[in-house]
This record gives sequence, C-alpha cells and structure tokens, in this order.
Amino acid sequence: MTSSTSFESYFHVIRDIIGAMHSLTDLQDVLDVVVAKSTQALKAKGALLRILNKDTNRFEVRAAAGLGERYLNKGPVTTETILSTLPEPGEIYIITDIWNAPRIEYPQQTWDEGIRMLLDVPLAVEEQQITGLLRIYLTEQRELSEDEHDFLKTIAKQCACVIERVGLIQKQQSHFDHLATQVEKGSSLARMAAGIAHEINNPLAGILLYSSNMCKKVPKGSPLEEGLNIIIKETQRCKTIIQGLLDFAREQEPQRLPVNMNNVINSAVGIVENEFHLRHVKIQKKLDEDMAEALLDKNQIEQVLINLLLNALHAVDSRGLVTVRSAVDRKRRKVLAEIADNGCGIPKEHLGKIFEPFFSTKANGTGLGLAVSYGIVKNHKGDIRVWSEPGRGTRFMIEFPLALDASVPKERK
Amino acid sequence: MKPLKVLVIDNEDVICNACRLVLTEKGHEVDISKTGKSGLIAVGHTTYDLVLLDIKLPDMDGMDILKTVKENVPTLRIIVMTGYATLSNAVQAMKLGATDYLPKPFTDDELVAAVEKAFEGL
Repeated sequence: MTSSTSFESYFHVIRDIIGAMHSLTDLQDVLDVVVAKSTQALKAKGALLRILNKDTNRFEVRAAAGLGERYLNKGPVTTETILSTLPEPGEIYIITDIWNAPRIEYPQQTWDEGIRMLLDVPLAVEEQQITGLLRIYLTEQRELSEDEHDFLKTIAKQCACVIERVGLIQKQQSHFDHLATQVEKGSSLARMAAGIAHEINNPLAGILLYSSNMCKKVPKGSPLEEGLNIIIKETQRCKTIIQGLLDFAREQEPQRLPVNMNNVINSAVGIVENEFHLRHVKIQKKLDEDMAEALLDKNQIEQVLINLLLNALHAVDSRGLVTVRSAVDRKRRKVLAEIADNGCGIPKEHLGKIFEPFFSTKANGTGLGLAVSYGIVKNHKGDIRVWSEPGRGTRFMIEFPLALDASVPKERK
Repeated sequence: MKPLKVLVIDNEDVICNACRLVLTEKGHEVDISKTGKSGLIAVGHTTYDLVLLDIKLPDMDGMDILKTVKENVPTLRIIVMTGYATLSNAVQAMKLGATDYLPKPFTDDELVAAVEKAFEGL
C-alpha cells in the first residue's frame, strides 16, 4: 500500500468516526464505532476503550472489538495502575514487552490472546484530566508510521471531546428532567392544595363553630372545658397548616418594584422586634448605607425575612444574638441580606431537607416556612443559602439581582 | 343589637346548622338555603337584613349570586364565607358589594363579631 492510499484509508476512517460522533447522540454507539474503526484502520487484532467513572475513580471498559470474552472479563482497572505510567495527553505509549510491562496486569491472558504489541492512547481534551483510554492490540511487533501516530492522536482527541460533550448533555438533561418534575409537581400540588382547602375547611368550620359555642355553655371548671379548648386550639392549628399549604402551593407572581432592601429589613425587624424583646434576644442591624435597589415584591420579601428572623429567634436561647446585615456585591451585581444567629445550629443531616415542604423539627411547626421562603426567593430570580454549625449558629443569606440589571420598568406611580 | 332576619346560603348542613345555632342564641332569626338557586328565590320572597353566602356552591358561582342579590336588593348586607380564602377573591367580593369576608373555619365569636360589625352604628 502506498503512502497516499494509506492516508486515504485513515482519512476515510476518521471521516466515519467523526460522522458517527456528530450524528449519534448515544455515547455507546460512538464508542462502538471508534473501537471497530480503529481496529480496522491499524489492521489490529482488536481495541478496547475504557472511560473513567468519576464516582468510583476506575477505568471501566465501555467498548471492545476483536477480543475474546475471557480476556474482556478481567474486570475494571484502577486509576492508579493505569495512571502510574500513563503518557501525557497527546502521546502514545507503545508496549512490546508483554511479560514485563507494568501496565499489563494479565500477561498470560494477553499472550494467550495472540497479542504481541499494545498501544495505549490517553483520551483528554487539551491538557485536561484524562477521561479515558483507548488500547489497541496488535498481533505483531512493528514500527508505527507517522500517519498511524497522527491517526490515533486525532481519534483520541475527538473521542475525548465527544465524551465530554455527552457528559454535559446528560447533566443538562437530568437537570431539565428534575425541573420538569418540579414544575409538574408544583402545578398538581397547587390544584391539590386548593382542593384540600375547600374540602377540609368546611368540616373544620363545623367543628370550630360547635366547639367554640359549646365551650361557653359548660360551667367554669367543668371536666369538659379542657377538652373543648383543646378541640378549638387543634382545629385552629389545622387552619394554619392549610393556609400554609395554600401559600406554598399558590403560584403567586411577585409584584416587583425597585426597592431598597434596608427598608424591607427595617419593616420586617419592626414587626418581630417585640417578640425578640419578650425573649430577651438581642437583634443587631448592620445595614449597608450605600444600598442599591433590587426589584422586589416588598410584602413577599418581608415575609421571607420575618420567617428567617423568627427561625433565628427560636434557635437561640434567651440572651442570644441575631444579626441582620445588608450589602451590595457590586462585582456580582447582587443585593444581599443576611440573618445570622448564635443559636443551636442545624444538624448536618437536616441541612439538605430544610427547604422541603413539611420538614420541621419544631413541635408545632408546619414545615412550610422555609419552603415558602425558598419559592418566593426563586420567583424573584434570587438565591437563598444557608451555613450552619451545630452549637455555634446558623446564617441564612438571600440575594437578588440589582434592579438596574432586570428588565422590568421603573417604579409605577 | 336589634334581632336580625338572616339567610344562610351554604350546601354544607353542618355550616348552616352551626350558624343557625350561634345566631339564634343571639336572638336572630335564621333561614337556610342549600343551593344558590333556592337562595336567590328566598331573597326575592322574603326581606332579610343579612345573607351569609358561601362563595363555592355546587349549582352556581357565589360571585354571581352576590352580584345578582346586590343588583336586586342593594341595601342587603352580605357576608361572604369561603373555604379557600385568597386575597384576590376577597377583593373581588368586596368590589361586588360584600360587607365582609369570613374565611372558614371561624369561631362563634368571629361569626358574631362579623355580624355585629356589619350593622355597626345602626
């Protein structure tokens, strides 16, 4: 075969592989094409493609061509054994000494397969981490031509790109799937909540009207009095839970206007101040005087702040300290508000659940406060974050884009 | 306050009976309609001082009943009750001329207070 015809055959193989990469969305199909075509182009016995599983840090066989079952069933290879002597990305590692090469874990099986030479080609995008390894098995020892070198390097690079691309697509896909379920759940939850409110509030109204009426008719100190009072109190508790459920499920579009976060903080603190005073908990404000405006629904954000403040209040003992800060992050173009306490903190195992509806550690909590707050903040294209250390305290931060960056008209008069 | 003639329009027996119990004990006279249609007929036949109207009835939209009653008997006071209280339907009810808005469940005291408030100064 002349040099020009071998070039042509490599070109055709590369064209096939690149074609597969662009037309096939399933990574497995692409990898199958890569091993089959590489084997064919290099007139090799076979090829094996391993991809790094980032969860287990192992290189797992994902595609193979031309190799016997027994050989393939050797199992995965750890990163350490492969990477210990792995060439730099863009280089090809040639193994001719089957019996003594440290990179060959099963020399006997390799020899029995009729393999006399191996080529290891790391798959990596540019200089980044190696994401896979293409191994080519040859039945005779020979020099590799420059075309063959170029061919393998091209394949390795293209293959690494496609692995990365598929990884990104899959990540996006799972993200969208998650969002879709959330949206689905959201709308059915809203319908269900409205239904529950209708159905449950009517019988509750009957219970509450009769029990509150009856309570007035029993003589003071009657053994019935306590029970009736409990019925009244618990019915009212049900009412609160249902109202919370409705607030959580209702898709309330925020009425956003340019607002100074400091004003919202001041009014929220004003509402809860008395409660703090009664429990001897100090509330400290550290507000950024040079505050920028954000587009906020004042009432909704006030509700979020009140919720966070009351949570902080419940987390501290008497004589605790709750600090409220505001700031402008001009670099990230965000307005921030932070509520920190020196209270009991949130156990690590609870941190992931606190924004879930109905998760509560309080005896009388509905478990909806933070879930509602989360929804409100997200509806404002904002973010809510939490840091906590058991025994030391908790810090909640909410942030919103600067008003200047949002595409909503200026304050309506 | 002077005894009132009250009509309760609600498809739930327990609400009608409980409201009647609480209000008759306060000296008022209470009639009951279980559907929107029969409620409208009752309002047309009898002179009431007050209507307690559930906004969600199986046969008619409570808001339509409110509108019709207010058109025919503008002076009649109507307190709207609902099991699904939202700000927007409270605002809508008040715009249509409701005197007050009572989210279910409510206590006997809350009911009596709403009725008394509707006739404040009279």
